[in-house]
Amino acid sequence: MAVREVLVYPDPILKQKCTPVEPLSHEAEQLVQDLIDTMYAAGHSVGIAAPQIGAPLRVAVVDVSGSKLGQKHNHGLMVMLNPEIIESSGCKTMREGCMSVPDFTGNVDRAEEIVVQFYDRAGRDRVVRCKGFEAVAIQHELDHLDGVLFLDRVSNPGTELFKRKH
Amino acid sequence: MKHFAVTIIGRDHPGIVSTSARILFELGCNVADSSSTILGGQFAMILIVSHAGFESSEPLQRAFAEMESSGLSVYVRTLKPGGETRPKLPGDLCMISVYGSDKPGIIYQVTRLLSQKNINITDLATKLVGTDVRPVYVMMCEVVLPPELSVDDVRDMLDALREELQVDISVRNVTPVEL
Repeated sequence: MAVREVLVYPDPILKQKCTPVEPLSHEAEQLVQDLIDTMYAAGHSVGIAAPQIGAPLRVAVVDVSGSKLGQKHNHGLMVMLNPEIIESSGCKTMREGCMSVPDFTGNVDRAEEIVVQFYDRAGRDRVVRCKGFEAVAIQHELDHLDGVLFLDRVSNPGTELFKRKH
Repeated sequence: MKHFAVTIIGRDHPGIVSTSARILFELGCNVADSSSTILGGQFAMILIVSHAGFESSEPLQRAFAEMESSGLSVYVRTLKPGGETRPKLPGDLCMISVYGSDKPGIIYQVTRLLSQKNINITDLATKLVGTDVRPVYVMMCEVVLPPELSVDDVRDMLDALREELQVDISVRNVTPVEL
């Protein structure tokens, strides 16, 4: 049980593709607890992925239930081992920031609704449908497992663009 | 280290960015924040640059003379210490879109109301779209709200202007989510 330091870019671990983890292993259990402790210790954080605390393994935790935006749709604390998005639909743009890329935000288009498959903390195979802010948060954290930062997905830096006058 | 703000503007054509980047690189300047875009037929750049050895803007002005002789305007402003640091702006970030048929006073009326309420504008872009016969004015304004104001308050505040200017106004929260 420990709050770990959150790595910031350009730490090379953040750009690495992570390897699957063995559910129920001691290593996985330890990592899950550290992720939960680190996420809640940050106060404002709604999710964190293993590479952000230095472990290049496919584990992420998300909890949007404490956030105003996540009130309507949430599954509380989600612990996801080897997660995969198996279905996605719709489009939602949010201006994202990331603990690993301080002081920069940008608009990112994500699916509005997703179905995600993963092993939970107890090693059960789960399939969960998520939408809204929770779906956005999961997509952001799962990107970390492939070494993708929101900077790789920014659609435009700020103001929406309008068609130029001819 | 001294910081300078360099503004470059002129008729758009390929090569403006690379020429200015070369000049800055050859001088040994660092480029920090910058923003460039096409406005009308003009390309406009603003860059915050620094140089450990420069005490005045004179070497920059001299180096940019070649760009000025090719028809671009270059202006160099020397920043006071701390002038390069972005202030911390707490409070909700909100995007205000104003659009309607073109008429005088749209920017003025909207921004006067914002400044009266101590709302800080962080980004503003306007564009004339539509046709020559029926021009449409679009204004996108990103603002930081002081703690005592909510997005709903801003919406209510701008309601009167909607009628008066006969424009559409929408206000939405774009506060970044930290993930």
